[in-house]
Amino acid sequence: MKFIIRLAFQNLTRYKRRTIITSFAIAVGLMLFIFVDSMLQGAEKESELNLKRYETSYLRILHDEYWDNRLMRPLDLSIENPDLILADLESAGYTATKRITFTADMILNSADFPEEGNLSVSVQAVDVERDNAVFDFEGTLVEGRFAQKGADEVVIGSWFAEDIKAEVGYYISLITRGNGGFYEVMDLEIVGIVNCPNPNVNRTLLMMPFDTADYYLGMDGAATEIDITLSERSDLNSEAENVKGIVSGYSVLTWRDLARDYLALAEAKRGGTGTILFLVFIIAAVGISNTMLMAMWERTRELGMMRSLGMKDSSIRMAFILEAGGIGLIGAVIGTALGCLANLWLVNYGIDFGFITRDMDIGYRVATVMKGIWSVKTIVTSLVSGVLLSMIVAYLPTRKALKMDIPSCLHHQ
Amino acid sequence: MIKIEGVTRNYKTGETEVKALRGIDLDVNDGEFLSIAGPSGSGKTTLLNLIGCIDSLDDGEITIDGVPVSRMDKHAKTTYRRENLGFIFQTYNLIPVLTAFENVSFVLSILGVPQGELSERTYRILREVGLEGMEHRRPDKLSGGQQQRIAIARALVKQPKIVLADEPTANLDSKTGEEILQLMKQMNRTYNTTFIFSTHDKMVMEYASRLVLLHDGEIASDTRRE
Repeated sequence: MKFIIRLAFQNLTRYKRRTIITSFAIAVGLMLFIFVDSMLQGAEKESELNLKRYETSYLRILHDEYWDNRLMRPLDLSIENPDLILADLESAGYTATKRITFTADMILNSADFPEEGNLSVSVQAVDVERDNAVFDFEGTLVEGRFAQKGADEVVIGSWFAEDIKAEVGYYISLITRGNGGFYEVMDLEIVGIVNCPNPNVNRTLLMMPFDTADYYLGMDGAATEIDITLSERSDLNSEAENVKGIVSGYSVLTWRDLARDYLALAEAKRGGTGTILFLVFIIAAVGISNTMLMAMWERTRELGMMRSLGMKDSSIRMAFILEAGGIGLIGAVIGTALGCLANLWLVNYGIDFGFITRDMDIGYRVATVMKGIWSVKTIVTSLVSGVLLSMIVAYLPTRKALKMDIPSCLHHQ
Repeated sequence: MIKIEGVTRNYKTGETEVKALRGIDLDVNDGEFLSIAGPSGSGKTTLLNLIGCIDSLDDGEITIDGVPVSRMDKHAKTTYRRENLGFIFQTYNLIPVLTAFENVSFVLSILGVPQGELSERTYRILREVGLEGMEHRRPDKLSGGQQQRIAIARALVKQPKIVLADEPTANLDSKTGEEILQLMKQMNRTYNTTFIFSTHDKMVMEYASRLVLLHDGEIASDTRRE
C-alpha cells in the first residue's frame, strides 16, 4: 500500500501542468459551490427572518375557517374578543398583538397623484401601541411618522410610494366592504413611509391604526388575527401547541404554515441552483476523467509492465484512483480556500441585488444586499466531494485500461 | 524445468486468422541461457508471452516445474508471475517518476517483503548490476544501458526461477548491448536463473547457450552450444 500511495503521489508530479489545470477546474467548481451555496443559504436565512419580522410573526392565531378562505380576507371569520386572548397570552409570558387585514380598492386622485386610477390593495390595521413589540417596523421610517391611534392615517411602503409617486401629506381613498358587506370609503392621510429589509413589504404595505379600521369596518373590536413573537431559539411546534392550549377554539399557525408558498419556492430555487452546481461538478468531473484517460493512455506500457511483474489489477486501479484523489485534494483545498476567501467578502459586504429586487419579485425576502453565511457543512462537503468525485470518475478509465490484455499493453504505441 | 507441448496460438486480425504458433514442443532446463530467434512474425514474442503467463494458448500445454501454468486462471497466473517470473523489456518500461531504487524495490514491495530486507536486497542487486551510487537517480538521468541495468535488477531482485527478456538489446548500441549480455550471463551463472530471450540480434544469439530458431510459428532448428 505504501508503494501504491508513493506511486500515486509521484505521478501527480509527472505532468505538473495537467495536474494544475485539472485541479484548477475542480477548484473553480468548488469555489463557486461555496460562494453560491453561502449566498443562497444567507438569502434564505435573511428571508426567513424578514418574513417573521415584517409579515408573518412567529405564530398566528386565526379563526378556524379563516385559513381556508384567506384569499377573500373575510372579516366575519374573525377573533371576537382579541383583548381577552391577548391578556391570557401576556399572562402566559407571550408578546402578541392584534391586527385586521382587509382588501380594498385604493383610489388615486389627480389632485395629489400624477395619474388618476385605482389599485387593489391589502391593508394591515395594526394596534399602534403593541405592534412594534411583535413586528420590527421601529426604525424603518424613512419619512414622516407612524399613524396615531384613532386617526385617519396610513403608513405606506417606500417602493409602493415611489410607484404611485406618493409623498407624506397626500391623501388616499380606500373603498372596501365592512363586516356585514356594507360599502365603506376611508380617506386616509399618508403620514409616514417605511423602508424595511423585506421587499414584499416595501412593495405593498399599507398600515393604518387598528381602532380606525375597527370603526370603519364595523368590527366591534374583533381582529382577523393575533400575531405572537418568539425568540429565535424557541421550539416553534411546542410553542404552537402551548398557545393552542391557551386559545382553544382558534387555529394556531406557525410562520412555516403561513409562509408555505415562499418555502416551496425556496425549495424549488434550491433544486434549480443544485442543478447548476451539479453541472459545475460535471464539468470538473469531465476534466478529471479526461486527465485520467490520458494518463492511462500514456502509461499503458507501464501498466503492462506492472501487470507482467504480478501487480494485482486492484492495486493498479487503487494507484490511479489515489492519483485522481490527489488531484481532487489539491483542487478541493485550493477551491475551498478560494471559496472561503470569497465568502469572507460575501459575509461582510454581500452583493447588492437592489437593481433586480426593486422591479422584480425574486421570491427571497431580501430587499437589496444578499450576504453569505459560514457553513461548516458546506466547507466539509466541498472538501470531501472534491476528493470523492475525482476518485469516482477515475474508476471508469482505469477499468477500461485494465481490460486490455497484457501483451497489447506492452506493445501499445 | 519448462515443458512446452503442442502449443498452438492463433490471432484474429480483422477477418484474417494468423497462426502465430503451430504445435510447438520445447523443453527448457533450469539455468539455461536460451535465445529464441527468428524473423518478424515468426512467433518468438508470442512464445515468450505464453511462457511468461501473460497470454493464453489455444491448444497444448505449458508446465513449469510440473505446474500446468497454461491452465491457470487470470488471478493464479498473476500470483505465479509475481512469485516466480522476471521480465526484461526492449524499452525497459521503467516508471519515470521513481528512482532506480524504487523501480527495483517495488517488485519486492508487492511480494510483501519487509522494509529492512527490501532495502538490503535492492541495494545489493543494484550494486551487482553496476549501479552503486546511482540508486536515487531517476531513469531520465541515466543512459539507455544504465536503464536496462535497472530493468535487469528489477527482474532479478526477487530471485525468480525464470527471466524472460524480449529483445533486451534492441535499443542499445553494440558495446552497451554486449555489456548487458555479459551482465545477464553473469547473473545466470550466479543465481542459476533460467534466461529466455527473444531476439533478432546476432550477438545475443552468440551469447546464448542454446538457440531455438522459429519460422512461421514452428521450430526450424534447436541448437545447443558450449
